Amino acid sequence: MTDYLKTTVDKFTFKVATDCLYNAEGIWVKPEGKFVRIGLSDFLQQHSGDVAFAEVKPVGASAVFGDEIATVETIKVNISLASPVTGKVVEVNPSMSTAPEAINQDPYGSGWLAVIEATDWNADKSRLLSPQAYFTKMKLEAEQEVKKE
Amino acid sequence: MIREKFSAKVVIVPCSGIGKTYGTVSREVAYDITEDLRAKDTQLVALSMLVLGDESARSAITGNPAITIDGCKLACASKMVKESGGMVAQEIAVLDVYRRYKQFKPQGIAELNEGGLKLAHALAEEVAITIDALVAEDKGGQNA
Repeated sequence: MTDYLKTTVDKFTFKVATDCLYNAEGIWVKPEGKFVRIGLSDFLQQHSGDVAFAEVKPVGASAVFGDEIATVETIKVNISLASPVTGKVVEVNPSMSTAPEAINQDPYGSGWLAVIEATDWNADKSRLLSPQAYFTKMKLEAEQEVKKE
Repeated sequence: MIREKFSAKVVIVPCSGIGKTYGTVSREVAYDITEDLRAKDTQLVALSMLVLGDESARSAITGNPAITIDGCKLACASKMVKESGGMVAQEIAVLDVYRRYKQFKPQGIAELNEGGLKLAHALAEEVAITIDALVAEDKGGQNA
């Protein structure tokens, strides 16, 4: 069972799964053998708003660290999501075309975006944040957002 | 048998989210229905009046079927109607409707863009069909 780091900022509670790594924008990466599963962190999905549409690169497409892997349109923003690894897309969550609200409902579970076969995982891993490092960064961002309001 | 009638009025309760595009769409839908498409058969009730406990608003939703139009997943309109003792005949979330009309991307707050107005009208047309069914059902019940 996944453990979470949790923080409450203002009226919002954010969870960070401890079995994932994260890129700076809040894409989680969960290693699964030679593959990695990716999705949006709880903070990223709450901050972005209710998802209307999500489009992920198709199976077989190349993923390049830092290049766009998916786009998400929410009631507030359109966001381009950068791939946290380099490799090849081997699976796309079918819910993304039929029920993308899964991203909001279960960001670390059924709301996953894609599975990628990482071709240089060791290099990618070194550029990702640990759960604790991402938690600290996310918390700071959330607190700054509240101060702005 | 003569059923208690609901005065042939279906109550429309839109989101009160001021400053939110999808809230604006929900209100545009409500105006479209109550002022134009089905003016005779509907009554607009402001969510804020229900929140304030206004007696006429409460009376409208307890004596008539309500159609709620929510701008976000908090679903304040649906929740408030239910908490006030009303009967929700149909719950609508604007986002769910937008997923079916991707070509009508709503933007703007005080004034909706063309996509937002088209989305509102498309949804209003769908709601009008539900209203017709509710009114027909009521008339059928009265004639039974």
